[in-house]
Amino acid sequence: MGLGSFFGGNKSTVTDNNSQTTISNDPTSQRVKAQIQQELAVANATELVNNVSKNCFEKCLMAPYSQPNDPCIDQCLAKYMRSWNVISKTYVARIQNASTTGEI
Amino acid sequence: MSSISQADLDSMNDSSKKEIANFLDAENSKQRVQMQIHDFTNSCFKNCVSSITSPELSTQEEQCLNSCVNRFLDANIRIVQNLQNVQ
Repeated sequence: MGLGSFFGGNKSTVTDNNSQTTISNDPTSQRVKAQIQQELAVANATELVNNVSKNCFEKCLMAPYSQPNDPCIDQCLAKYMRSWNVISKTYVARIQNASTTGEI
Repeated sequence: MSSISQADLDSMNDSSKKEIANFLDAENSKQRVQMQIHDFTNSCFKNCVSSITSPELSTQEEQCLNSCVNRFLDANIRIVQNLQNVQ
C-alpha cells in the first residue's frame, strides 16, 4: 500500500451524508476531481512524513548524533501510525456523537 | 500528472461546475478533520509516548492518547462557552 492510497482511498469517514452529489459523466469534471484528490493525498502524506520525522528524530536520536538508531526509528514509525489510528477513531466518534446530540 | 487545460475548464457547463463546487465543499470538510487528526497525533504522541521499546502501543499509552483528544476537545468547548458568556 503506497502513501497515496493510504490517504487517497476516499474512504469517507465523516460528512458523507450529503449523497446529493450528482455524479455526471463529464470527463473534465471527473479529471478535476481526480486531480484534487491526488493533490490532497500528496499533501496528507507529506504532512505525515514531516510529523513522524520530527517526532521520531526527537525520541530516537541524541546529540551529537554520531550513531544512527534504525530499530528505534522503525518502532517509532509503527507506534506513530497506531497512534494516528487511535486518535482518528476517537476524534471521529466524538464528532459523530456531538452532531447527534446537537452539540455542534 | 497531466494538468487540465484552460479550454477544458472553460467548456464545463453549469451542472458540472456545481458538481465541482459540491465536491470541494465535501473534500474541504474532510480535509479539515484530517488536518486536525495530524495536529492531535503530533501533540498527543509527544505527550503520551515516552519510550520506544516496541512497535505496539501500551494500554496506558493508548488510554493517554484517547484522553488527550477528549480533554483537548473539552477544553476547547469550555473556552468557546466562556468567551460567549463574556460578550
